[in-house]
Amino acid sequence: MIRGILAIVIHDLKRAWLDRARLVAGLVQPLLYLFVLGAGIGAGSRMGGGDYRRFIFAGTMGLSLLFSATFSAITIVFDRQIGFFKAVLVAPVPRPAIALGKIIAGALQSLAQGMILLPFAPLAGVSLGPLETLEMVGAMLAAALTFSTIGVGFACRFSSTTVFPIISNAVLLPMFFLSGALYRLRDAPLWMQVAAHLDPVAYAVDLMRGSILGTFFFPVALSLGALALTIILLTWAAVRVFERGEDDSALGAARFGWRR
Amino acid sequence: MPTAPAMPAQAAEAAVDVRALVKHYGGVKALRGVDLAVMPGEMFALLGPNGAGKTTLFSILATLRAPTSGEARVLGRDVTTERDAIRREMGIVFQEPAIEQRMSGRENLVLMGLLYGRSLSAAGRRATEVLGQLGIPELAGRIAREMSGGQRRKLELARALVSDPRILFLDEATLGLDVDARRMFWGQVRALADSGRTVFFTTHYMEEAEVADRIALIDAGRIVALGTPRELKARLGGGIVTLTTDDDARARAWLAEHGLAAEPGDRTIMIVHPDPAAILPDLLRNLPVRVERAEVHAPSLEDVFLKLTGRGLEGGGGP
Repeated sequence: MIRGILAIVIHDLKRAWLDRARLVAGLVQPLLYLFVLGAGIGAGSRMGGGDYRRFIFAGTMGLSLLFSATFSAITIVFDRQIGFFKAVLVAPVPRPAIALGKIIAGALQSLAQGMILLPFAPLAGVSLGPLETLEMVGAMLAAALTFSTIGVGFACRFSSTTVFPIISNAVLLPMFFLSGALYRLRDAPLWMQVAAHLDPVAYAVDLMRGSILGTFFFPVALSLGALALTIILLTWAAVRVFERGEDDSALGAARFGWRR
Repeated sequence: MPTAPAMPAQAAEAAVDVRALVKHYGGVKALRGVDLAVMPGEMFALLGPNGAGKTTLFSILATLRAPTSGEARVLGRDVTTERDAIRREMGIVFQEPAIEQRMSGRENLVLMGLLYGRSLSAAGRRATEVLGQLGIPELAGRIAREMSGGQRRKLELARALVSDPRILFLDEATLGLDVDARRMFWGQVRALADSGRTVFFTTHYMEEAEVADRIALIDAGRIVALGTPRELKARLGGGIVTLTTDDDARARAWLAEHGLAAEPGDRTIMIVHPDPAAILPDLLRNLPVRVERAEVHAPSLEDVFLKLTGRGLEGGGGP
């Protein structure tokens, strides 16, 4: 099992290394949010420009982790269109090891992206001591694992590389916007606060923000529990899909390129 | 109470043993009751047009799909309940490429070795070994994308051999290759079979099926014939006259009246006869239509398929 996970992780990281230019390109979007959107909105907010940038740093980190994790999950969809993923499926690797290997590899790639963004913290007015840095990296790891699981949980059900990004945006963007990444959840309308309680991204962002600013919206234990629950449920769902191999099931969502 | 009769010895040792296998996709019946047995060390071809059920049967044997009903065993193990045991001992070449195009031959094989539980160094040794066995050590350092189509397919074969499989499955493995590359590829596979590995492959090229020890012809989800290439051709008995005329319908009617019924089908007129050369002059003299082309030949697998199904191999539905 451990060996199987390791094989999948090495497999994926080796291939991801071929795409390492992505790490640099992946930096553009969060920096835009941080310095352009952040400066623009911050200027008109009662938090003031500097404070607002400080506030959304964790949010843009969440954005960066979320999109890089989902992007690495796309390789599953792509590999299904060629024989590459079939070759993995016919290898004597336990299906949970395939799912966990994919999730860990995606989380590591996402974390690498986050670690490139982290040094920009002082530019956003965030000063991190050693302890805060440690807390922040721990929170980033939890976030990366969760987002990677979300990516894999979705990607394993799709067989079309054109449909997946459309659907994933329809899911990811609402999750990002509802997460409180760009505004204070406690000032948001009640329905948004309720929705945020159902949004794993909100918990992940709150953990990261708390480790920077010292104040949390959700209790830390609740956040950790919510992320753990998300990881367990979606990993289980992915394992079930991998167990079916190439096979159909009664779910029958072929219309949208869903893996049946 | 009397015990159940023992399984016939032959079935117990079969490398592939399929009984009453049925597979439905929703309302589509892809396999409608398939029975076949492949002996260890045998090179076995599954020949049929696109859409006949080849890839479905292949996927079930390769542990990628589960049967709707019936039983399939590979190396004595059940394909639904003992998947991992089968996976350890089989190698597969898919229709689609399964190598990373941006990596070298060696890197691809090492990654595959890791999936089969080898350590990094053992996987490296195995990669060198397999490339040597197939006579392509020069592909070790080359990026897959820069190889020729034939070389890439050989690398796929090498990938399938990384696990040192007892049984090798190939699904339309030479799709898109030219005739020369195909011949070389099958020469290599034949050598693997001769060294004791069981080979099970699907194809819709009849000349590829001829290299097999035995062939199963599949059509519309059923095995319509099974035997050695020679046996299958001998089923037609004698030889074949094919005719192209300016009025095939009239020619068929005339032939039927004179006890020389043409095989059903809408292509050229095909008459199976113990002594085709002897009847041809009579036909040409007496047929009430103009004959544009006449041919006498020994039966090919295509003829066998045509006789059994009324359709050619290259036709058929989608993939």
